[in-house]
Amino acid sequence: MTISPSSASTSSRTTTILGWLTVVSLALTAVMALVISPADVNMGDSVRLLYLHVPTAWLAMYVSFGVTTLASVLYLWKRTRSRFWDLTAGASAEIGVLFLGLTLLIGAIWGRITWGVWWTWDARLTTTAVLFVLYIGYLAVRKVPASPEVQSRRAAIVAIAAFLDVPIVHFAVEWWRTLHQDATFLSDRRLLDPQIGGTMAWTLFLGVVAFTLLYCWLMAHRFRLAWLEDRLADRAMQVAIDERRAEAVQS
Amino acid sequence: MIDTRRRLWLAGIVVLAALGFLVFQGLGNATLYFRTADEAVAQRDQLGDRRFRIEGDVVDGSVRQVGNDVSFTLTKASVEVPVRHKGDPPELFRPGIPVVLEGRFQGDYFSSDRILVRHSETYVAENPERVTTTLR
Repeated sequence: MTISPSSASTSSRTTTILGWLTVVSLALTAVMALVISPADVNMGDSVRLLYLHVPTAWLAMYVSFGVTTLASVLYLWKRTRSRFWDLTAGASAEIGVLFLGLTLLIGAIWGRITWGVWWTWDARLTTTAVLFVLYIGYLAVRKVPASPEVQSRRAAIVAIAAFLDVPIVHFAVEWWRTLHQDATFLSDRRLLDPQIGGTMAWTLFLGVVAFTLLYCWLMAHRFRLAWLEDRLADRAMQVAIDERRAEAVQS
Repeated sequence: MIDTRRRLWLAGIVVLAALGFLVFQGLGNATLYFRTADEAVAQRDQLGDRRFRIEGDVVDGSVRQVGNDVSFTLTKASVEVPVRHKGDPPELFRPGIPVVLEGRFQGDYFSSDRILVRHSETYVAENPERVTTTLR
């Protein structure tokens, strides 16, 4: 009934390589962001926060919550329904909440330096705060006691509903007047005409790649942990059933 | 059985769509985050001495220290608004940049007590030569 150490580990050759790739790309991003890339003509050195703020937002909103949504749809669809997708959705949302929190924190610091305030209730900031609360709610819903199937289905529906806020956050800067600036690349207007210098653009791109690798690495470990926990719970249940059965036979 | 379920789903979707529409409309109204300087001047009478946010560019050469206050001119679409700001402006405040001010109209000028410096999605190197000169 014991899990051998090798199968209980969340790391493998692949995750070790992935981990090193992540470390190297993050280090390169740091060098690019802090040393090689220039200061901004208006923002000065504070522009360097761009290389953290955008990648963390990318990781949280598009990658993490995107994967959570996709996994939730695959869970709800009968043909692909399995524990695998439910655990994937939960693991990804946890990482997303963590990095959305970091996005808000770094954004507040950047806002204090450039705008002069930590926070303001403009459409981008407000919808992002709502998104943060929605996904904390999702993680809470996952823990509401029910039979495993009900728990998973409920969570999947909530996950899909929560994701509706992601496009609202994305387009908030285009739909409404905000203090927050528009997207650097991801808008009709800027996709083919970004207004950012070459070195700055490459630094930002490298940051996004580095944080995407970080997501993959974190996800590999977090998912395996969830998978092992799930198996452990199954075994504990089996042990309990066996014990009751043994008692019944004795009496 | 299937019919009731389908009907429930449909009702749910309709309710959600209605909610989404309401939220969108509500946000649209509540998120008039600022009025541009020209809009504010056009709505001068309705605004009265109500508190609101005004947006525009700081006119070059208009910034002046008046006691503890700072006075300058805000412009948008060739409409100019004289501003009196109480207290120190933020560090990145300088002529020519777009700003959002919080305050109200008072007589001939806009009385502001908070300056928020706006930024566009344009990022320009402070000294584009720097990279090439250090690498050489």
